[in-house]
Amino acid sequence: MIPGDFQIKKPSGKRVALFSALGLGGLAALTAAFLLFMWVMFAWFTIPPAIGEGPEQPIDFPHTTHVQELGLDCVFCHREVETSAQASIPAVALCMTCHQAVDGSDEDAMADIQVLQDAYAEGDPIDWVRVHRVPDHVHFVHEAHIKYFSERDGVPATAVCSTCHGDVGAMETVQQVEALKMSDCVECHRENGAPTDCTTCHY
Amino acid sequence: MALTRRQFMTLTGGSAAAAVIFAACGVPEDELLVQSPVEMPEDMVSGRDNWYATLCRECGGGEGVVVRVMEGRAKKIEGNVDFPTNAGKHSARCEAGLQALYNPDRIRGPLIRAGERGAAQFEEVSWTDAASRLAYQLQNLRSESRQRRVVFAAQPTGGHAGYVMRRFIDEYGATYVPFEPLDTANLKSAVRTVFGQDRMPDFDIANAGFILSFGADFLNTWGAPVRYSRGYGEFRQGDRERGTHYHVDSRFSMTAANADKWIPVKPGTEGLFALSVAQVLAEDGLADSAALDALTGGERSMLDQYAPSAVADKIGVSADTIHKAAHEFGERGPSIAFGGGSAAAHTNGEANLIAIYSLNHLAGGVGAEGGVRFNPPPPLDNIAQPASAGTIARWRTLVNDMRSGRIDALIMAGADPFYALPGSLDIRTASYDVPLIASFSDIIDDSAAMADIVLPRHAAFEDWGTDSPEFGPGYQTVGFQQPVVRPFFENRGAELGSRGLGDAIMTIARMAGLDLGLGDDVVSFKDIIRADARRLHALDRGSVRAATFGEFWNGVLQRGGWWDANATIAPNGHQPPALTPYEEPRFDGESYGFYLTPFSQTGIGEGQRAHLPWMQATPDPITTATWRTWIEINARVAENLDIREGDVIKVTSPRGSIEALAFPHPGVPPDTVSLPFGQGHANHGRYAKDRGSNVFAILAPLQDSQSGAFAWAATKVNIEKTDEWVRVPKFENTVPFSPVDEDHRVYEVTETDS
Repeated sequence: MIPGDFQIKKPSGKRVALFSALGLGGLAALTAAFLLFMWVMFAWFTIPPAIGEGPEQPIDFPHTTHVQELGLDCVFCHREVETSAQASIPAVALCMTCHQAVDGSDEDAMADIQVLQDAYAEGDPIDWVRVHRVPDHVHFVHEAHIKYFSERDGVPATAVCSTCHGDVGAMETVQQVEALKMSDCVECHRENGAPTDCTTCHY
Repeated sequence: MALTRRQFMTLTGGSAAAAVIFAACGVPEDELLVQSPVEMPEDMVSGRDNWYATLCRECGGGEGVVVRVMEGRAKKIEGNVDFPTNAGKHSARCEAGLQALYNPDRIRGPLIRAGERGAAQFEEVSWTDAASRLAYQLQNLRSESRQRRVVFAAQPTGGHAGYVMRRFIDEYGATYVPFEPLDTANLKSAVRTVFGQDRMPDFDIANAGFILSFGADFLNTWGAPVRYSRGYGEFRQGDRERGTHYHVDSRFSMTAANADKWIPVKPGTEGLFALSVAQVLAEDGLADSAALDALTGGERSMLDQYAPSAVADKIGVSADTIHKAAHEFGERGPSIAFGGGSAAAHTNGEANLIAIYSLNHLAGGVGAEGGVRFNPPPPLDNIAQPASAGTIARWRTLVNDMRSGRIDALIMAGADPFYALPGSLDIRTASYDVPLIASFSDIIDDSAAMADIVLPRHAAFEDWGTDSPEFGPGYQTVGFQQPVVRPFFENRGAELGSRGLGDAIMTIARMAGLDLGLGDDVVSFKDIIRADARRLHALDRGSVRAATFGEFWNGVLQRGGWWDANATIAPNGHQPPALTPYEEPRFDGESYGFYLTPFSQTGIGEGQRAHLPWMQATPDPITTATWRTWIEINARVAENLDIREGDVIKVTSPRGSIEALAFPHPGVPPDTVSLPFGQGHANHGRYAKDRGSNVFAILAPLQDSQSGAFAWAATKVNIEKTDEWVRVPKFENTVPFSPVDEDHRVYEVTETDS
């Protein structure tokens, strides 16, 4: 060893302990920050899951056929939308009021309607994949929104749905078109003079 | 690797924390699941209801109704508040129109006979096939000039359905024989004789001071019960002095129960009672003298033979009763006297009714407020109710013709003679000699079961139609019937399912090469109605007026019809006919013990509605019995014969015997028993088949000596207890009186009660 050379002082045991603690702490903080960042990004970009392309459903239910061609109202199937929080999914029995007689026009349709008829015969419910969803801590009540817009514009309930859901009648597969983030909610509430208290939705 | 306890704990905790954090990033799968339940919630009321105005075709009253329709299904029937005859009220019979529409036994497509005739075995064919078979046979018979040997048996039908039917019969040259289970020939001819009117009069019950009714259960089944009941409410509880009502009848009916006084008379003497009332009116100067002169031919002393003291015994009441009734009738006016039902169903039925209705002339109530008012002819001359009624005399001839092979085809529409003709005529075996039987029916009733071709007809709520109510409100009224739902069997295609009667007849006419002369641009039955609606529009008066026909048509359908309260008819000054000598009623089986007074049931009537469970379950207002055939016996007579409620009784007439459940009841005259019509069908759907007994089976085919009408209350019977007992299905019960001490009610439990 040359005298005068810079020598790393052998750190004292105390310092080693301090620095390792700091280093580990920093690493942990960095990791945590990274995880948090990832979590936020993940949540932001993956929820809602159906924006862009809609999920695959157990039955390829074509809204186009039922709404555009047959002219059914939204509320014909989503019956509770005017009276309760949930828009509600129709019972299999409701589908069967027509489909006990209507078997479909082409092979794909016939296969899908067969699934429906079998489910009814077996007494099985149909498990659809949810397309529109707000987090658990948000309460969205369809009834109030439908009522407000249809009264304000003097239009039937059916004409209000597309405000948030887009033109579902033209969708072969249902997909989400609006992000339905909190900012969307708040913006719309401000525009329409609706309350923006936290407890309006978070209760 | 060795794992210390500490490491293990750290790893578990860490992975749990990580799982929580990362799981929160995504949406759990079950959160993304949304189920369609299998069945719709029962209490779900969603969608919107539509109310359509149309006509009720279950009862004869010609009532306007509105039907609540949700998502293409009729749900509930209410009275049409606008409609003149019933003014918002309706009957239980109207309600059951739903069950006629959705009856599980409705015929789903045209049928041809597959088994023996009458075995009710059929094979389904297409409409083209079935209709062309009938049309071909009809064409053949016509080419051989045998069209008079084709018999069209139908319920007397007014409105446009009746018009098309009559056009078909006239154009083809068939023989038309109207059929009603309890025919109205006596009533119609009495009204014609006494008032010089072809249409049934309207009774202004609401403004009357005193009502004297005979035999007709007018608050329950006779005429237009809803209209009469509405008037009766005013009569009793309206803003006026309470009216008084006496009812003369050999059965304690619902009307009798509502009257201030029920006067039970010997069956068939109702006319004699009326004549006796006339005598008192004449003697005590209470009668209109011009009418009295017309009635007696100027010789007033001829009435003396009917003095109460002379005839009271024959009628079975005290002379005082007649005196009192006559004085009430003469002094409490305006008064109305009317009758029908069992009072008309005797061998002297027409004479009975003439005597009864003539009292209105004596009281001066003809054409007056609170009296008898008349209905003008409808504004469209082709939709009037046919004036003729089928009689038992006509049917006896027809059955004989059938038996001797003089009938080539029998076509039935809305008539069920195989059920409701007296059993002793035996139309069933006679019909084996008829080569072709066809039926327009919505259910396999006892007549359709005999048919070779059955053409299913629409329920009333699927069909178009019109009606000028027979028991009208006193002014011109045309009710419009529109389909309120799509035909129930529509999904079976145009070749199967049901069709409207008018359309079916027009199809057959086209196939048989007949021109019904309905107009060039008429394709469907609806076109005929629209064409006549144009004529109504052109009148430019009444309840619906509009600039364009489109608006008029919508207005008429929305309100359920067209009427003009100003289009009344003035009294024609007709005086009653001179009285003919009184004729005693004759009975079949004079030596038998009891007079049989059958009656129509509130719900199932004379069996036409036996396939409707609501009607079966509608309790008789007096006994509250349902679903079965019971026999009303005087309580004391029953006690003497050791008969208790529910004992199966064998009822024997000279023409046969049936069984019925005993119903001892204090309100039955001791020499009389009563049986309800309507049960005992061999077919007619699951709710009617093999249930109870058919009263028509034991009735003698006696007829009125003048009009030939069916004397259905002129049979006498014996009753005999059998060993069987069946609980009478009834709506209410009585608890036998039990002795009570000061503080406690003491119930005795006996062996039979347990």
